[in-house]
Amino acid sequence: MPKYDKRTIEELIDGTIDFFKLKEMLSHFKDPERFDTYLGILQERVPWEDRILLPAGLHLYIVQKESGDRIVKCDCGHEFCDYRDNWKLHALIYVRDTEEKLEELYPKLLAPDPQWQVIREYYCPSCGVQLEVENVTPWYPVIKDFEPDIDAFYEEWLGRPVPQPKVG
Amino acid sequence: MGSINAQILAIDAGGTMTDTFIINDKGEFVVGKAQSTPDDESIGLLNSARDALSYWNTTVEEAFPQLVAGVYSGTAMLNRLVSRKGRRVGLIVNKGMEDFHRMGRAIQAYLGYSYSDRLHLNTHRYDPPLVPRELTRGITERVDLFGNVVIPLYEHEVEQAVVELLDQQVEAIVISFLHSYKYPAHERKVRDMAKAIMNKRGQEVPIFASVDYYPLRKESHRTNTTIIEAYAADPSRETLLKIDKRVKERGAKFDLRVMASHGGTISYRANELARTLVSGPIGGVVGAKYLGEHLGIRNIACSDIGGTSFDMALITQGDLSINTSPDMARLVLSLPLVAMDTVGAGAGSFVRIDPNFKSITLGPDSAGYRVGVCNPAGGIETVTVSDCHVVLGLINPDNFLGGEVKLYPERAYQAVKEQIADPLGLTVEDAAYGVIDLLESQLRNYLESMILGKGYSPSQYVCFSYGGGGPLHTAGYTKGLGFEDILVPAWAAGFSAFGCGAADFEYRYDKTLDINVNAAAAEQEKTDAIGELQQAWVELMDKVADEFEKNGFPRNQVEFRFYFRMQYQGQLNDLEIESPIQALRTVEDWNVLVHTFEETYGRVYAKAARSPELGYSVTGAIVRGIVEVPKPKIPEEPLGGEQPPQDAYLGSRPVYWKGKWTTADIWEMEKLKAGNRIKGFAILESSATTFVIPPGYETRLDRHRIFHLKEPK
Repeated sequence: MPKYDKRTIEELIDGTIDFFKLKEMLSHFKDPERFDTYLGILQERVPWEDRILLPAGLHLYIVQKESGDRIVKCDCGHEFCDYRDNWKLHALIYVRDTEEKLEELYPKLLAPDPQWQVIREYYCPSCGVQLEVENVTPWYPVIKDFEPDIDAFYEEWLGRPVPQPKVG
Repeated sequence: MGSINAQILAIDAGGTMTDTFIINDKGEFVVGKAQSTPDDESIGLLNSARDALSYWNTTVEEAFPQLVAGVYSGTAMLNRLVSRKGRRVGLIVNKGMEDFHRMGRAIQAYLGYSYSDRLHLNTHRYDPPLVPRELTRGITERVDLFGNVVIPLYEHEVEQAVVELLDQQVEAIVISFLHSYKYPAHERKVRDMAKAIMNKRGQEVPIFASVDYYPLRKESHRTNTTIIEAYAADPSRETLLKIDKRVKERGAKFDLRVMASHGGTISYRANELARTLVSGPIGGVVGAKYLGEHLGIRNIACSDIGGTSFDMALITQGDLSINTSPDMARLVLSLPLVAMDTVGAGAGSFVRIDPNFKSITLGPDSAGYRVGVCNPAGGIETVTVSDCHVVLGLINPDNFLGGEVKLYPERAYQAVKEQIADPLGLTVEDAAYGVIDLLESQLRNYLESMILGKGYSPSQYVCFSYGGGGPLHTAGYTKGLGFEDILVPAWAAGFSAFGCGAADFEYRYDKTLDINVNAAAAEQEKTDAIGELQQAWVELMDKVADEFEKNGFPRNQVEFRFYFRMQYQGQLNDLEIESPIQALRTVEDWNVLVHTFEETYGRVYAKAARSPELGYSVTGAIVRGIVEVPKPKIPEEPLGGEQPPQDAYLGSRPVYWKGKWTTADIWEMEKLKAGNRIKGFAILESSATTFVIPPGYETRLDRHRIFHLKEPK
């Protein structure tokens, strides 16, 4: 089974990994320690103490509060909502729905027609980091990306009990 | 060793090691190894030859003057290409098409990948282009697919393009226009104008018009190949020139030839040198063809197991099949390449347990020359197929590569136990046997599907098995396929080098044609068709003759062979067929070509699939020219008795086979005599290969030192 050092996984997270190293990792079976190493690095990098249960996207994590609540949290510390709720509805949303706004990104005539397609950008209300971008038709609902079954993931996939909040 | 009559020198210059094989007039060979010396390859080559000749107690100075031929194959050009360290090349294409080279074909993003990686999109990657966009210029012109000029060449744009490229310090210029194979005038005009411009400026760089090299359909393939010619092949000419010179300084009297992708050898002075990019595995196929000719075997299924891969090829009716748009170094090319199927399963393949499905997986990566866990010097931690061989007792740990590498069975045992047996709940022996069984059944499936997929049946073929790891598995991967015969040459490990030495001195040139003749065509149409084909042959024949003249062979010494590619109109696959007529004149000749095509089509597909009502298309002309060169002698010995000599018997060894430890007789391959018969369970050992005769099987050594393996009924 492959085994990678922490530095390699850090490079993987940061996207600075060499392509050929990455290709080799992709072509092999996954290293069994990957999840813990990966989560450990994320936990080390955030300035707060809440335990990360799962990453939930760029800059976002599902964390366990002392109360046992599972909350979507930004790496700046901003707390969005319960993980079963749609965090996007708690974010700042910027919609590019005019030619002018689209042409800030694309050369003229290369942008989508805003009557057919708009770009929705989601930002953290506290630190302003961009969390997600969607290309959708103007009427398209704000879809929840995914709702993980955290208990089943820990118990049935990783084969260990889900972490419990610290008592006291 | 008295008089060693060294005959053929075959060189395989790899990135790290240069191997030389020297064959004498009895078919015996020695192998030499030395560190490669990329700055002056001739140094590594001479060291390697010295090493080889030391086994015969002779020297380069003594042996080289006796040599009658020398063939080189090396990876220097390939390395230059893969590491993108070639010349700075400028590219001139149609205006508006400047990006096609860097975009490449989608397939180039996953060429050379394993099947699972091909499906796994995020592993795909485009390599940097050989010519970057900044060194590409567009010139307005357009020729359609019929060869009509739709937009004339804008000659006033040529000067600016050429001057700009020269100002950017290009070291060569490649010209490639759409459909130039149908209308070469524009490329040639630009070529001549560029030469004049360079002349005027007193600057000179080599210039390559695609149509002068590869007048073939498919612009990505044609452009890539012409660029390789300028980028990597032309610079290699100097290397080869130097090697030739150094070898001659040591008394050699032959002209060095280079192994080429079409299965022949060519001179380093050849116009089209890019085809020498290929090395390695085609040597074995060429050797099998040569051996087949000698033994009167027309249909051969070649199989070669090395450390990293299993290579298969078919020789049908005495001819190699040729792939005209192969890929090498992750580029699609317009070169004729001996068609081979390769799978990443060899003796060094890694064995792992799929953590999700708890099944054994083989490869696709391998330990290569590092063998496996049983070889501590290799630093390998993952079990390989070779480790399983050691556990089962199939290979002798003290005689691996003639004892050069000592293997440690207890290390192999421990690794198989921890990584394979324990997780699967099997005994170590059963786990190792399971791995071998899986490998052999995979190889059997590949071999069978390759033959069936081409419309033939194994019973029509004789299977040749060679390579360092081939004979170990021959019985396993041929089991039940029903080959007419199964042959293992005693020199299996050096068979590829033998094949390089056995290759013809041969040029092959191709040209794309589009000649359509309807089923109900009038005589005039057929006459026009043969006129056009004949003209293409004459053109290609001149090209071939010119090449031979560079090495001092006049045209009348060249044996020319003429081929055409034909298909039913509107179908997608054409067939390459040798023309029974050398010079086409009459309508009757056309009918003969059609008849030959129909026969081949019926053989490859089915008689019932023939569709003459669609009419015919001639899609290409090919000319091959061959001159006689000395080749290695195939050993010839008087037949002795069936009883092998006592001194060949090395004793016996327990080998785990089908669930129990069984005693196998061990024989020394070199000491067996022609005519000897050996019944399984037996293992024949030589320094570089091991031949397994399973229980129930029998093998017989013939006059040519070739073993015939007989499967129990």
